[in-house]
Amino acid sequence: MSKITEVAELVEKGKAKLVGPAVQAALDEGCDPMDILNQGMIETMGVVGEKFKNGEIFVPEMLVAARAMKKGVEVLKPHLATGSTGANGKVIIATVSGDLHDIGKNLVAMMIESAGFEVVDLGVDVSTEKVLEAYKENPDTKIICLSALLTTTMPAMKDTVAALNEADFRSNIKIMVGGAPITQEFADEIGADGYSEDAASAATLAKNLVAAA
Amino acid sequence: MVRVSFVREGESIFVPEGTTVLEAEILAGLKPDAPCGGTGKCGKCLVQILEIAPDESVDRKDRPLVRACQMKVTADIFVDTLHSQKNEHAILTEGYLRPVQYHPGLSLHQIRLDKPEAGEKRSDWERMLEQLPRIGAEASGEMDLALAASLYDRRMESARWYAVYTEGEVLDLRREPGRICFAAFDIGTTTVVGYLLDAKDGSTLAVESRLNPQVQYGADVISRANYALEHGTSVLSGCIRAAVNEMLQALAAQAAVGTEDIFQISIVGNTCMHHLFLGISPGSLVHAPYTPAISQPLTLRAADYGLDVHPKAQLLMLPVIAGYVGADTCACLMAVRPDQKEEITLLLDIGTNGEMVLGNRSRLIACSTAAGPAFEGAKITCGMRGAAGAVDHVFYKDGVWSYTTIGGAPAIGLCGSGLIDLTACLLRAGLIDENGRLESGQEDPQVFVLVSPEDSGNGKGVYLTRKDVGEVQLAKAAIAAGIELLMEELQVTEDDIAEVCIAGAFGSYMNPVSAGEIGMFPRSLTGRVRSIGNAAGEGAKLALLSLEEWKAAETLARETDFLELAALTDFQDCFVEQLGFETA
Repeated sequence: MSKITEVAELVEKGKAKLVGPAVQAALDEGCDPMDILNQGMIETMGVVGEKFKNGEIFVPEMLVAARAMKKGVEVLKPHLATGSTGANGKVIIATVSGDLHDIGKNLVAMMIESAGFEVVDLGVDVSTEKVLEAYKENPDTKIICLSALLTTTMPAMKDTVAALNEADFRSNIKIMVGGAPITQEFADEIGADGYSEDAASAATLAKNLVAAA
Repeated sequence: MVRVSFVREGESIFVPEGTTVLEAEILAGLKPDAPCGGTGKCGKCLVQILEIAPDESVDRKDRPLVRACQMKVTADIFVDTLHSQKNEHAILTEGYLRPVQYHPGLSLHQIRLDKPEAGEKRSDWERMLEQLPRIGAEASGEMDLALAASLYDRRMESARWYAVYTEGEVLDLRREPGRICFAAFDIGTTTVVGYLLDAKDGSTLAVESRLNPQVQYGADVISRANYALEHGTSVLSGCIRAAVNEMLQALAAQAAVGTEDIFQISIVGNTCMHHLFLGISPGSLVHAPYTPAISQPLTLRAADYGLDVHPKAQLLMLPVIAGYVGADTCACLMAVRPDQKEEITLLLDIGTNGEMVLGNRSRLIACSTAAGPAFEGAKITCGMRGAAGAVDHVFYKDGVWSYTTIGGAPAIGLCGSGLIDLTACLLRAGLIDENGRLESGQEDPQVFVLVSPEDSGNGKGVYLTRKDVGEVQLAKAAIAAGIELLMEELQVTEDDIAEVCIAGAFGSYMNPVSAGEIGMFPRSLTGRVRSIGNAAGEGAKLALLSLEEWKAAETLARETDFLELAALTDFQDCFVEQLGFETA
């Protein structure tokens, strides 16, 4: 148990280099990989997200914690049964066409992943066609998340959401949008199902959307 | 219509009901500061609303401060904009001119317009061109029919004339040499600096600087570009051209010359400023992959861009390197010329975007990182630009805190250099940990009060919050990650870098030790930092002072490679790696 607490502490403090060895040590000691994942990392990221929401920590700390978790998961992954990391379902995430910004999007991806989803990250400058194609390749997708950081790429987000709203699989998915210039108002206007202001709320929102579906 | 009276400026304006106070300020020509473009996010446009005429007997202390951009006018009101330091911004106009051979592209030469001998076959025009070194009759010499047509009358008036000409064309013929001038401009997102130079020897006759009036349409290039895309480029183009004209007038007045004596103007600016000045839509700049519409050096007619100088004056637009590495960076390179050195130079120009160039004579690579406007005061609770009352330096020794302000005025906020100093001092004092966690040990442990409300000039005090530290981390990590990836690309280490040249106002006021301590660049480089002042302005001058330098600009811009950080998978890792602080 103490090894798992150590993993949790290292994730929270964002000690990326130390997390991998700590996870390995926990495994060597015979800890259940699922416990390391759930108690050592997913719960910790939940705490980190909560602190962020409450204004106790800020973006830099969240970024380093998320990256530390990623390093830990890399070590853990071979020991986990397939699918055990994405029990809540599959999420496609992308930064819209014309926008190359990915730090916010990646943070959301990590938070959603740590909330028990399997994330398919399409990267940046992703066209509507690529999003539709990605869904065809992953027909079990439950949520599609779109990010835009520039006011100038908000129209691209609108177009992609419009195309998704026309798609025959629309009733099977939920659409979430976010990014610095995006507001709840804009999300409603373009016909997205959800908007969240930050990465931590995005993970909560994803869980709620899936639960409500 | 309702009346908005600005008590401080003594201006009134009538506007339709529902107009915001910010819009009224813009309409009244007050050039308010609205970094976020009036979206209600930054809170830098605060004004005080006085429902009744301001009067000594009314206690104004209770009147709330409101955001001008969010406050709609529904009845006649009196507004106090609280702007006391208009035009008192500390704008850096000094640079460190690299000595170059004075060899301008513009020449003044005495010629004779003599009555031709009987049997002369050559035209008056050809006989004139032949007398001009560097043009000669064989050079095409762009034809000026009006000037050619005047040659007979001129020859009758006098035989001795002075030609003002460039390699390609004759700009003017004058009876007396008089004074002919150049003007060089560095159009920054925030500030514009203009220089008037004597074409006789290249000496600086006058300097002018002011805030870029486009600030009222947004503080950063993205919000400007956005405004241009929504409302067309003409408002922004017109407003910067008008500002340049005003500055030309002021420069000429200072030096007691006429604006018609100005024959060449060079302009540098980031790609967005460059495009907006020319009236080119910045659309391609704000949509990936962020390419400029045009990048090569341009020789244009100043009059075609609304500049009120000699009607044939030339406008030289320095070349752009890439979408987010503009003509200003090219001008900085001209001021340093790392392409002529064997040792490796790192050039840093830190503003809202941090542009940087690394390399030597064999290769130069540039990149741009979104450092964010933290070092220009935006997004920081007590942040402000470098104006009177800004804390510009902070010291901490043996448990004692002290600071200086610009102009020695009572402190009202923190500018970029003060912000870096304060962060470094807090690290040194052990009050910020490696993750950026602030434990000030004061009443509110998440806030460090540097100047108490009583000691400050605005009654609010000057302080730093934990969230502010986060903004510093994001900004410095972006710069540090850019440097790291440039070094990787060039396959060099920090030990190979002989000199770090820091351009711009922030670079001049910034304490390199503090910058190294917070990890903006590798700490070992601290001793190799050289502030090069307004290098972009210097580069703009060099383009006028030396034809070789103007020509070199094209090669420099073309041959400097561009590294798109957003396209590198390493960038995020590298960026996150740099977020923390190295603590003692």
